Formats: sequence, C-alpha cells, structure tokens
Amino acid sequence: MLNVKRRELVVPGELVAEGDYLLGEGLFRDGREIYSSVVGLVDIRGRKVRVIPLQGRYVPKPGDKVIGIVIDAFYYGWILDLNSPYTGTLFASDLLGRKVDFSREDLSEYLEAGDAVFVKVKEVDELMHVSLEADKWGMGKLKRGKLVEISSAKIPRVIGRGGSMISMLQGVSGCRLRVGQNGRVMVWGRDLKRVNAIVEALLMIEREAHTTGLTDRVREFLEKRIGGK
Amino acid sequence: MQEIVSSVKRNYIADLARQRKRVDGRGLDQYREISVEPGLIENADGSALAKIGNTQVLVGVKLQKGEPYPDTPESGVLIVNAELVPLASPTFEPGPPDENAIELARVVDRGIRESQAIELEKLVITPGEEVWIVFVDIHVLDQDGNLIDTSALAAISALWNTKPPKDEDWKLKKFPISKNPVTVTTAKINGEMMVDPCLDEESVMEARISMATTEDGNICAIQKGGSGTLTLQDIDKAYELAVTKADELRKYVK
Amino acid sequence: MEEKPEKLIVNGKRLDGREPGELRPLKIQAGVLKRADGSAYVELGGNKILAAVYGPREFHPRHLQQPTTATLRCRYNMAPFSVSDERKRPGPSRRSIEISKVTREALEPVVFLEQYPRAVIDVFIEVLQADAGTRTAGITAASVAMADGGIPMRDLVASVAVGKVDGTIVLDLNKYEDQYGEADMPIAMLPRKKEISLMQMDGNFTPEEFRQAIELAILGCEKIYEAQREALEKKYSANLGGE
Repeated sequence: MLNVKRRELVVPGELVAEGDYLLGEGLFRDGREIYSSVVGLVDIRGRKVRVIPLQGRYVPKPGDKVIGIVIDAFYYGWILDLNSPYTGTLFASDLLGRKVDFSREDLSEYLEAGDAVFVKVKEVDELMHVSLEADKWGMGKLKRGKLVEISSAKIPRVIGRGGSMISMLQGVSGCRLRVGQNGRVMVWGRDLKRVNAIVEALLMIEREAHTTGLTDRVREFLEKRIGGK
Repeated sequence: MQEIVSSVKRNYIADLARQRKRVDGRGLDQYREISVEPGLIENADGSALAKIGNTQVLVGVKLQKGEPYPDTPESGVLIVNAELVPLASPTFEPGPPDENAIELARVVDRGIRESQAIELEKLVITPGEEVWIVFVDIHVLDQDGNLIDTSALAAISALWNTKPPKDEDWKLKKFPISKNPVTVTTAKINGEMMVDPCLDEESVMEARISMATTEDGNICAIQKGGSGTLTLQDIDKAYELAVTKADELRKYVK
Repeated sequence: MEEKPEKLIVNGKRLDGREPGELRPLKIQAGVLKRADGSAYVELGGNKILAAVYGPREFHPRHLQQPTTATLRCRYNMAPFSVSDERKRPGPSRRSIEISKVTREALEPVVFLEQYPRAVIDVFIEVLQADAGTRTAGITAASVAMADGGIPMRDLVASVAVGKVDGTIVLDLNKYEDQYGEADMPIAMLPRKKEISLMQMDGNFTPEEFRQAIELAILGCEKIYEAQREALEKKYSANLGGE
C-alpha cells in the first residue's frame, strides 16, 4: 500500500509505503513499513520505489564515471579528489593501460596536482577505499575547458532521459561536455561566449532540476544566448 | 580516547541482556558491592571514598572565602569539578577536562544544587562581598563503569563529612547540609534497562539515564547520555529503579 | 537580570500572555546559508539560532576515523553579544561543552552514520540571540539543517523544554520562567516513534509532575515537528517551481 503519490515531496522519517516493495535509494524499512531517509521526490515503477534526493553528497559506486582532481602523487600513481567524502586512487597502470616500470618512468609527465581527470570507479571496498581506472577511450586527463560544479543529485537531469538533455546542449552550442556523476561537468568549445552560455544553462538545470518541460526551456534560453543557430 | 570493543564482546553482552542476564551474574536491578569511607583525607574539610564494584572515586571538599556571584549576593557558592586522571584508566589522558569530565562534574553539581542539600544562604560572611565557597573536587581513581553514581555518592558523603573550618569568620556550629540526594544510573542494552552498568556494559549500551532523587521520591536532576534513544516505558522503568535503589544507596551516606 | 516578578502565572496565564501548554512564536527556515552543505535558521521567542552542516566529508587526522561508520561532531556556540546581561566571553565554556555533547547524542540516533565509513559530519550551532531554551532550539535547527544537507536520517529530531513555574507545568520556558521557575527539563524526541534522545532536568518534580511534564513535552515536540516539516517542504517546493 502506498501512502504517497508519485513525485510527492517527502522528508526523512515520512511513511512512504507498507508491504512488499523493492527499495531503491532514499528509503529504509522498519518492519512492514517503508520510510524516506532523505528530502526528495517519490518515484514508483511497478513494485520498485525510491526517493530521488534533492540534495546530498556524492558517494562513489563501481561503474560511475566521475571527474577527479589530482591532489597528490605517490610512487605508483595519484590520489584524486572526487567531490565526495572519499578520495580515489588511480594507479599509473590503470591510466596508461599498460605495465609501468616505475624505476624508469617519471609519472609527473602524465598527471600533476591540480589536473582534472575523467575516470571510472573500478572498485569500492567496505571501508570505502576507492580505486579508479581511466584507460578506456575518452577517459583520462581533461586538457582544456571550463569546470563547473553542481549538486551531484542534479546530474541525471543534465544527462536527461536517454541522453536527451546533453545531446541538445551539445547540438545547440557546438560545445563538448564531459559529465561526471559526482557533480562536475567539463565544458569546452572554440567560442568563449558559447561555453559561458552552457555554464549558465547548467546552473539553470541545477536550479530547476525538478520542473517539467525543462529541456525545452533550456533550449530556448541557449538559443537566445548565442543568437540562434 | 575510546575503548575498542570487539564485536564478540558486544554480541555476548547483548545476548545476555535479551535473556535478562548480565556479564557478572547480577540481576537487572542489582548494584555491584557498594562501600563508602568518609574522612580519609585529613587536610580536606570533608572527604569520602566511594566504591561501586571496582570503580573508585575520591571526593574532597574544601571551604574557602571568596566573592559571591553578582546575581546571588546573599548566597554561598558551590563549585564542583571533576578530574579523570590517567591513573584511573588507560583511556584517560592528561590535559584539560574533556567533555566526559565536564559532564560528570555538571551532573553531580545539579544533583546537589537542585536538591538544595546545602543551605547556601547560611554561608554568607558579608552580603555581596564575602561568602564561603564550597569546592567539591571529584577525583576518579579507578574507572570500571558508572562514574556518575559513584561520584555523586562520594560527593554527598564528603559533604555530610564536612567539618567547620578553623576560622574566626565561621559562625555556624556545623556545615549546613540537610538533604540527601542520591543518583541512580540505568543503562539500556538490547532494549533492557539495568542499573549500575559496569565498564563492559557501558561500552555496548545504547543509552543511559541518571536520575537524582531526594528522600521524598521527588526528582531533582536528570541526564540522559549515549547515542541511542529511550522510550517512555524505559523512562518509567528508570524512575522506578531510581527511587527504590536510592533508598538502598542512601544507607551508605554519612 | 531583572528583579524576580512576584508571580509568574496570573489568572492561569503566563507573563507573556501564553497558556501553560503554548509555544512562543516559532519560525523555521531551511537552507539559509550558501557554503554549508545544509543549514537552517530558527526563531523561538527571542531566540535566534543558526545551524549548519558540513559533510559527510573526509575526516582528518586519519587516526580518528572510525572504520565502519561516520563520526558526528557537534559544536554549540554562543555569540559574545547573544546575551542580555554581560558580554559572554568567546570560546567554549563548561556549559557549552556539555551542551555540545548532549546535542550530539540527541542527533546521533537518527543519522545513518554506517552509510559513510571513515567520514565525518560536522554540525555547527550558533546562538546569535539567546532567550531561554537555546539548546533545544539548536537541536531543532540542526536536524532541519541535516535534512536540508541530504544526510540520510531515520527521522527528524524535535526539541523543546518543559518546566514548572508557580507549581504549574508549562511548555517552552521563557527567560523569567527559566530563571525563577522550580524546574526545567529540556527534551528531544524522534516524532515517528516518540523516542527520547535528549532528557535533562534540574529543579524539583514530584513523580506526578514528572509524568505531566513528559506528556506536555511530547505535545510540544509534535508542534515543533510540524514546523520543521513545513520549513523543508517550503524550501523544496519553491525549488520545484510550483509543481
């Protein structure tokens, strides 16, 4: 039995449902009863219930693609800040996709403190030690562009259903975007005015993430900003 | 610093609690062995060593002349302080009092102050200028759990032991103490309420509640501690235990 | 502090005109600070209190990290100008250290700390203006700030003081009642199951008065809980663009 409507706003401790539902994120069970653990919007698909959080810090999960910032180097690789309570470790071999002879190679040729890197979360152990990899196509050091940070809870909206938002953003502006699930987005393109328009569009998406018809409104805004296509 | 508790120990104590049993074989409403030895420190104006099980706390009282608080010019001053000295436990560290020492002192202070055990208004020398200050110093010697009850028992015993200082400004025949507040702490482990937690029990308890009551069964101070919650039934149970156990503890005072 | 009024309750009403079971005017706002991960502002009577939450974030120094759970830290602090009498000396006092401890213990039961091994969550409570009941208003604000910051929680925590003045059990003591009343009992409650996570008391209660006081505190916490929910709903439904 459901106690709330789809897309209803709930707060921590609020009764969402009772009975045999499959629990997604943002919920916990107490006996038969299912409660929300965060402020968010209820999403129901069949027997599956979840609460889409409206706020909160990013926590790494295996398979996530994120943008990390190098904060430290060690003999075998680098430590990356992930805009999260946990840093990630990137071994040189997981960046370069080959064996590395550490006695001969100077790792600072590849990455240095401050560099932004597009990485995939390879593994997370129970102590939340995070290992990363970046040896696939399109991963690795992001050499140029403007880095924007928004709430990681809003990233699904930047991508859009089936990638609709991101392909619209790239199509209308001609800029390229790299979206990290940890709330970091890298934008680059030849025209600074267009890059800035995308940055503003991203902030608009963050602000209005849970409204309907957002893709159309962002398109309208972008077209006005860059003077039509 | 915190004691590391193995999950084996945690589960063992929690399982026992479910069967309403305890690590040392006591009943849920049973204190460990209690003793109070007053007057141990001759240089203090009053003192007492209280033991509950292996836990030992020495309290000394010193009377000194000083200024009253500006908002209570016609009243003596009570100051309670607690030191968790490193000799009492491997987890105690030297240095300024931490939050546990401060909480201990303040909980003992409230039990004495709110019961009006000491007639502070009689401890005035010159109103607004000079009064007697009652320093109650709690010195923990051996920490094996339930510092609150042991310290409160030592403190009230030391106050009852307090003799008039040899000073021409002291005009009273005796130290003006008239009530006998006693503090009883009940711990919640696996949903069961039990008095006088030993250190092992404290290290796994969900919460504790300490209640100071006077002879008439009235409550004068409460402090809940620990990172769990208490239901209303738990609180009722704690009050019931606080009153019956206080009668027992009170026999050791004086 | 001014002179003690002769009576604190006249014709069944309190000096500020309230009924015994009535709260002072209450206002709660969620999300009032830019930099913090979550924040809230509470006004209750003359109290003006801000709470901010940072984290979960990396915990330094490393040896303090707990391998299986996050650590919750709380700091209750009064601004030097927050009190009506003499300026309060800045920095922690014995009182504020104790309040920080019991505040942490009042909030810990609701936080899913086990979801963030090794991390730390910091809660900062700043009393900008004090008017009796600052610790309870601080807990009320902190729990809204945590929810606002997206920290997973089992429930909110609602908190209020009850006490006894002129022999009557009253809700939410004001400054006079706090100063001259016969008993003061701050309480925090998890509303969903009516579980108590903070209980302190000083003064004098008979067993019967104690029971009455707890009952009144529960009613008070329920009212506060409603205002907490409304504050969160208001902030986020504004964000939802009238959906």
